[in-house]
Amino acid sequence: MKDNNSYWIFKIRKRPFYIWLLRFLWVVWLVFWAEVALGSKAELEPKAFVISLVMFFVSLLIGLVLWLLGIKRFKK
Amino acid sequence: MKRRDFFKYGLGSAGVAVSGGIGGGISEVRSVSDASYFQHPWWVREIEKPKLGIDDSVYSRFEARKNVFGSMAKYYGMDNLRELSRRSREKTKKYYQENRPGYRLEDRALADAAWVISRQGGLNRGTRSWTRNSVRTPEERGVDKYKASPFQAAHLIKTAARYFGAATTGVTMLDRRHIHSEERGKKIVFEKVEEPYEDDTKLVIPKKCKYAIAMTVLMPIDNIACSPTAISSAGSSMGYSRCEFLVSGLAEFIRGLGYTAIPSVNDLGSSVAIAVDAGLGELGRTNRLISPEYGPMVRLCKVLTDLPTTVDKPIDFGLMEFCKVCKRCAEACPSGCISYEDEPSFEVKGEWNNPGHKAWFEDSPKCLAYWEESTSGCSNCIAVCPWTKKDKTVIHEIVKAASAKIPALDAFFNSMDKSFGYGRQKSAEKWWKTNHFEYGIDTTQGKG
Repeated sequence: MKDNNSYWIFKIRKRPFYIWLLRFLWVVWLVFWAEVALGSKAELEPKAFVISLVMFFVSLLIGLVLWLLGIKRFKK
Repeated sequence: MKRRDFFKYGLGSAGVAVSGGIGGGISEVRSVSDASYFQHPWWVREIEKPKLGIDDSVYSRFEARKNVFGSMAKYYGMDNLRELSRRSREKTKKYYQENRPGYRLEDRALADAAWVISRQGGLNRGTRSWTRNSVRTPEERGVDKYKASPFQAAHLIKTAARYFGAATTGVTMLDRRHIHSEERGKKIVFEKVEEPYEDDTKLVIPKKCKYAIAMTVLMPIDNIACSPTAISSAGSSMGYSRCEFLVSGLAEFIRGLGYTAIPSVNDLGSSVAIAVDAGLGELGRTNRLISPEYGPMVRLCKVLTDLPTTVDKPIDFGLMEFCKVCKRCAEACPSGCISYEDEPSFEVKGEWNNPGHKAWFEDSPKCLAYWEESTSGCSNCIAVCPWTKKDKTVIHEIVKAASAKIPALDAFFNSMDKSFGYGRQKSAEKWWKTNHFEYGIDTTQGKG
């Protein structure tokens, strides 16, 4: 067997079901707003485009912050 | 699978968002035997009678000369009309000198030029002739006339109508009360004859023409969004010109099958009433048709025929409930001609309305006066309607479906629509810098 340098090793931390469900819903939420933003751009609706883009980035930021906080708490 | 089917099968919002993102790029292969592409979205319900009822003891055939175009001088006053025209001419000149976007020479030329095909026809005139133009009849070809089941005939007609430019098509048994009693100074009568004809006193429709084919033609949304300017006026005229091509083409097609066909746009009778009967939409606050697929962004036309086909039913997609709480068209109307009443009623606003049916009746002379005042017509009520959408994002389909099924959310949807900036006037200057679709319309819209 080759040594560990030959492999990428991904570790997936065991988490309760509801956490996976929340992550899934978060991704769906992001995809939804991204789709609305792209669609609004195609529709030449500037205000709808800006609002949906802001929704997308704010949701992305909140999700990432919560995720990083979770990692930090786990390492402690 | 079509996007609308995806919703129908109740998949969760995850699938909804994903399908909206990638679904648009997948081309569909449609089976010839699959007529589902003529069906409305799943959230549209078929009903037995139009939701806004008719009082049979009152409703009757309307004299076309009573409409606002025919009797504006009477309704508005000749002196007032002259003064209005004078102001309009002055404004036109002023806007031209100011080089105001939407009122420049090129904008006005576009609006006038887009009428060009529409001007080729009139009641039993030109492209709207009630008799054959150039198509060869089955007799001339030495064959029998077209024979098929009513279902197959309906499918054939709808396919041909789509080919000639119809966004949606419905067929209904002709309610003769929707046909004008007179027009162009002649009576319109039904007689037991083989072919339609016209003489010095009357226009004759054969009694055998029992079917009315109603069609919608999509208007260029980017034009109408510039209302009230000449660019939006060009959108209306383009819609009418495409109606002209559609009805003349479809009528010739039907004659080529060996049947009688009488093409019509705004002449002959109420396209709105026939379209409602044929299940193309519901009557909205503007007293005009609102289609579930395109909102009010459509022009209507019709063909009367004796070709036996299956008929469609009127529809309900919760529009009446939506119009009760929305009132955006009334708020956006510069002339104040659209009703603010909560409930539709049988009470007409004037002689220009045909009494005997329930509606939000409009004050038409005010509307037409503003067309003159603005120097270029007006389509604000169409532009601001929350049902007017390009459907490039899945959220519109979700909102339409939810509104149809949960009327309690209508007020919320309306306020969200406002918050997102829909219905705001677009720049006529930018219109000239936009890469438009052919005829200014996206023909893939509303096709699943």
